[in-house]
Amino acid sequence: MTSNIGLISLIISSILSLFILILFFKHVLFGGPLHSKFFALYNASFFLIAVSFVLLVISFVVSDFSIVAVYENSHTDKPFFYKFAGTWGNHEGSMLLFILIISLYGYLFLIFTKQLNFSLRFTTIFFQTSLQFVFLLFLILTSNPFEKIFPIPNQGLGLNPILQDPLLVLHPPFLYLGYVGFSLVFSLLLGGLVTNQYNQNWAGLAKRWIFLPWTFLTFGIGLGSFWAYYELGWGGYWFWDPVENASLMPWIASTALIHSVLVMDKTKKLFNWTAILTILTFVLSLFGTFLVRSGILNSVHAFANDPERGLYILFIISLITLSALVIYILKSAKQTGDENGFILFSREFSIVVNNYLLIFALTVVTIGTTYPILLSVFTEESISVGPQYYNTILAPFVFIFLILMGIGPYMKWNKNSFAINRNKLTSFVLSSLIVTALVSLILKNQNFIFILGVACSLFLIISVVYEFAYFKHIKLKQFNFARLFSHAGFGFLILAITLHYFFSKEFTTKIQLGETSSYQEFAIKFSNYFSKQGKNYQELIGEYEIQKNGEKVILKPSIRKYSHPQQFTSETSIRGEWLSDMYIAMDYTSDASSGIGIRFYYNYSIRLIWLSYILITIGGLLSFVQRKNEK
Amino acid sequence: MKNKLKSTSIFLLFISFFVIFYYALQSDTKNNTQIMVGSKLPNIQLSSLFNPAQKISLPSTENENFYLINIWSSWCVPCRDEHPFLVKLKNDNQIKIFGINYKDKTSNALDFLSKLGDPFYYVGVDSDGSKSIEIGGYGVPETYVINSDGIIVFKHVGPINITTYEKIVAVIK
Amino acid sequence: MKNLLFLLIIFFLYQQDSFALPSQDREVKIYKNIRCLACQGQTLNDSNSDFANDLKKVIKRKLDNNETDQQIYSYLTARYGDWILFNPPVKQSTLLLWFFPVFILVIGLLILYKRTVFGKSKLS
Repeated sequence: MTSNIGLISLIISSILSLFILILFFKHVLFGGPLHSKFFALYNASFFLIAVSFVLLVISFVVSDFSIVAVYENSHTDKPFFYKFAGTWGNHEGSMLLFILIISLYGYLFLIFTKQLNFSLRFTTIFFQTSLQFVFLLFLILTSNPFEKIFPIPNQGLGLNPILQDPLLVLHPPFLYLGYVGFSLVFSLLLGGLVTNQYNQNWAGLAKRWIFLPWTFLTFGIGLGSFWAYYELGWGGYWFWDPVENASLMPWIASTALIHSVLVMDKTKKLFNWTAILTILTFVLSLFGTFLVRSGILNSVHAFANDPERGLYILFIISLITLSALVIYILKSAKQTGDENGFILFSREFSIVVNNYLLIFALTVVTIGTTYPILLSVFTEESISVGPQYYNTILAPFVFIFLILMGIGPYMKWNKNSFAINRNKLTSFVLSSLIVTALVSLILKNQNFIFILGVACSLFLIISVVYEFAYFKHIKLKQFNFARLFSHAGFGFLILAITLHYFFSKEFTTKIQLGETSSYQEFAIKFSNYFSKQGKNYQELIGEYEIQKNGEKVILKPSIRKYSHPQQFTSETSIRGEWLSDMYIAMDYTSDASSGIGIRFYYNYSIRLIWLSYILITIGGLLSFVQRKNEK
Repeated sequence: MKNKLKSTSIFLLFISFFVIFYYALQSDTKNNTQIMVGSKLPNIQLSSLFNPAQKISLPSTENENFYLINIWSSWCVPCRDEHPFLVKLKNDNQIKIFGINYKDKTSNALDFLSKLGDPFYYVGVDSDGSKSIEIGGYGVPETYVINSDGIIVFKHVGPINITTYEKIVAVIK
Repeated sequence: MKNLLFLLIIFFLYQQDSFALPSQDREVKIYKNIRCLACQGQTLNDSNSDFANDLKKVIKRKLDNNETDQQIYSYLTARYGDWILFNPPVKQSTLLLWFFPVFILVIGLLILYKRTVFGKSKLS
C-alpha cells in the first residue's frame, strides 16, 4: 500500500514538474502573466517527493519485503538505526534522496528570496525544476525505489555490514546536501544569464548558495574520512581512492568558486570565470555520481554497479552540461564586468592566484582519478594511480598555497598593498621560523620537508591569530570569522598531516596468546580473547595490552561475523592519548588459539586532523552570521 | 572570431569527453590477467606430490608439442567442477598436463586424485604459493597452455568450462 | 631583524640528513606501493588476504637476497602488469598523467602574467 502511494506521489510530482516547465515556456514564448500558482506548484512537487521519501523510509523501518529495494538491502535482525539508514544504502533510495535534495534547495530558495527580482526568481526555479524533472524521469523509469516483488519474501538479504555504522548513516545525506546543493547556484547562474541579471548583485546573492552546500560537503567529506579511519582498519584517514576523489573534485571547484565570487562581488571582475566555475562545480558533482554509480571504477566503496545505469547518468550529465554551455555561450557576451587586469599584490590578485593553484590541484585529482579509465579505452593497459602520485605532485604547491593564504587577506582591494604589509609579513615569517626551529629541536626531526610543512602551516596560523589579536582595535562583529576559522582550520590540517606523516608508526605481526611482541618503544601483549553474541553478528574479541614508556593501555579489537549477508568485518580498537591514537585491527582467523595477526598503528596527531575538519566546517557555518560592515 | 573559437573548442572538448566515457563504460577497466601471455614461462622447480625426492623443472625441456599447466587444490570447490574437463583433455587430446598442487595437505590432495581420477602427467607441490606467483598466478584454479618453446600461449583464470575447454582444444590443435 | 632571519636560515641549513624522507621500513614502503590483487583498491600493506600474505613472503625473500626496489617492481610488473603498482611508472602511456598537470601549470602562469598589472600605478 505505502509503496503504491510512494510511487504515485513521485509520478504526480514529475507531472507537476512538467507542468511548471510548460507554464514557464507559455509565459516566455506567448507572453501574458506567469501563472499565479507557479511557485505553489513547485512547493507541491517538493512536498510530494518528500512524502514519497518518508514512505520509503517507513517501508525500510517496518521491513516491507514486498519492495525489491527493501528486500535486497534490509533484514528484520538489523538494528532499527540501520533499517532507517538502509534507505540510502542502495542505489534507488539514494537517488530518491538525491532528488529530494535538489527539490529541497529550490524550496529553500523560494523561502529566503522573497525580495528578489521576480523574473530571476522564477527563471531559477524553472531551471531547478528541469533538473528535478530529468532525475525524476530517470528514477521512475530505470530505478523505481518502490518496485514490487512477488511472491513476497519472508526475509530480506540484509545490508552490507561495512555500511552498518552510525557515521555512515550521516555521511551520505551530508555529502548529498553538499554536492547536490550546488544545483541551486547552477540554476541561479542560468537564471541570471537568461534574464540578463548576471552582475555584481548576482554575486552577492549567489554567495550564500555556494557557502551552504560547501559547508555540508566539507563536513560530509570529513565524516567519510573519519569513517574510513576507524571502519576500514587500515590506519589511514585518506586513501586517494577514486570514490573519495569523486567528492573532493567538486569540493576543490567550489572552494575556488567561493573565492572568485567574492572578487566578482567586490570588483566586478571575473564574470566569465565565475560562470565557468559554477558550471564546473555542479558538473563535477554529477560526474562524481556517475563515477560512483556506473561501476566504471575500482574502489573499496563503489556501490550499485550497473553499466546501463551509468549510460543513463552519462546522458543526463551531457544533456545538462550541454544546455548550460549553450546558454553560457549565447548570453555571457552580454554581461561582461571590468575587463582590466589585476593589480599585483592586491586582494583580487591573491584570489586569482588562489584559483590558479586550486585549478591545478583539481586537474591533478581529476586526471589521477580518470587516467586509468582513459588509458583502458585507448590501450589494453591497466594502471593504478595511488597516493604517491598525488602526494608527489601536490605537496610543493600546498606549501605555496599556505603562504598565500596567510598573505592574501592582508592585501587591500584594487591596490598593490605589499609595501604597507612588509613589516607585518616579515614578523610572521620570523615568528613562524622561530617556532618551527623549536618544534624541530623538541621533536628531534630536522627533515627538510618536515620543516617546510611546519613552517608554512605555522605562517598561516600565525597570520590568522594576529588578525584575531587585533580585536581590541575593531569591533568583534566586523571580523570575517568565516574566513578566519576556515583558513586557520586549513593551516592546522596541513600541520597535522605533516606531523602525522613524520611521526606515525605502524607494524604488522602475528602474536600467540600470552606472548608479547615489541616494536621500538611499544610492547604489545596478546592477553586474552573471548566471543560475544551481538544482535545480528557473532564477535571474537581480542584483548591486547600495550606498554609505551611505562604506561599501559588495553585495546580490544574484534572480528565480527555477520549473519545476513554472511560477511566478516574487522572492528578496530582505538585509544587516544592527547592528540594521537593507538590503533589495533585484527586479522580474520578461524583459529584464535594459534595466534592472531594484528596491525598496530600509532597515529601521531590524528585528532588534530579531525579538529581541523571541524574548524573548517565552523568557518563555513559562520559565513551565515552577518557582519557589521556588510550590507 | 575569438568567441567563436572559444565556444567551438569548449564544445569539442565536451564531445570528446562524452565519447571517451561512453566507450569507457563499455570497456573493462578491471585488471588484465593476460599480461604473461606471449612471454616465456619463468623457471620453476617442482617436487613431486607422490615422491618429494623426485624433482623436475618447468618449462619442460623434453621438446615436443603443447603442454598444460593447471594450478589446483583439494580445498578449492571450482577445482572439483573443472576436474572432469582436465580428464577429458588428457584422454581426448593426448596432452601432458603438469599439475601444481597449491597450498594443500598432501593426504587431501592424494585423496582427491584417487577419488576423481588423475589426469596429470606430473604433479608438483607449491606449499606456500610462491611457485604460483612465480608464473604470474592469482590463485586456484588456473590453467596455462605452453608451447614447445616454453612460451605461454593461453591462460585462463578460474575453472575450465565447456567454452574454455573448446578454446584450449582449438589452441593445441 | 635581518640578522635573526639569517641566523635561522643558518640553523636550518646546518641540519643533517635534511633531504632524506623518513626512514620508513623499506619493506613497508614497497608493500604500500603494491595493490593487493585479490582485494579491490587495497594496498598489500593493508591486506591480510592469503594472496597478499604469499606475495609479501615472496617480496621479503627478494629483499633478503638484496634485490633492489626496481628489480622487485619489474619482477611484479612482468607478471601482473603496471596495475599492481600504485605509483605508476613514467613511460609513454603515462606521459599525459604526469605532464598534463605541468602543462596546466604553465598555461595558467601565462594567463596570470598576461592579466596582471605590474607596478604601483594605482597607489593612492
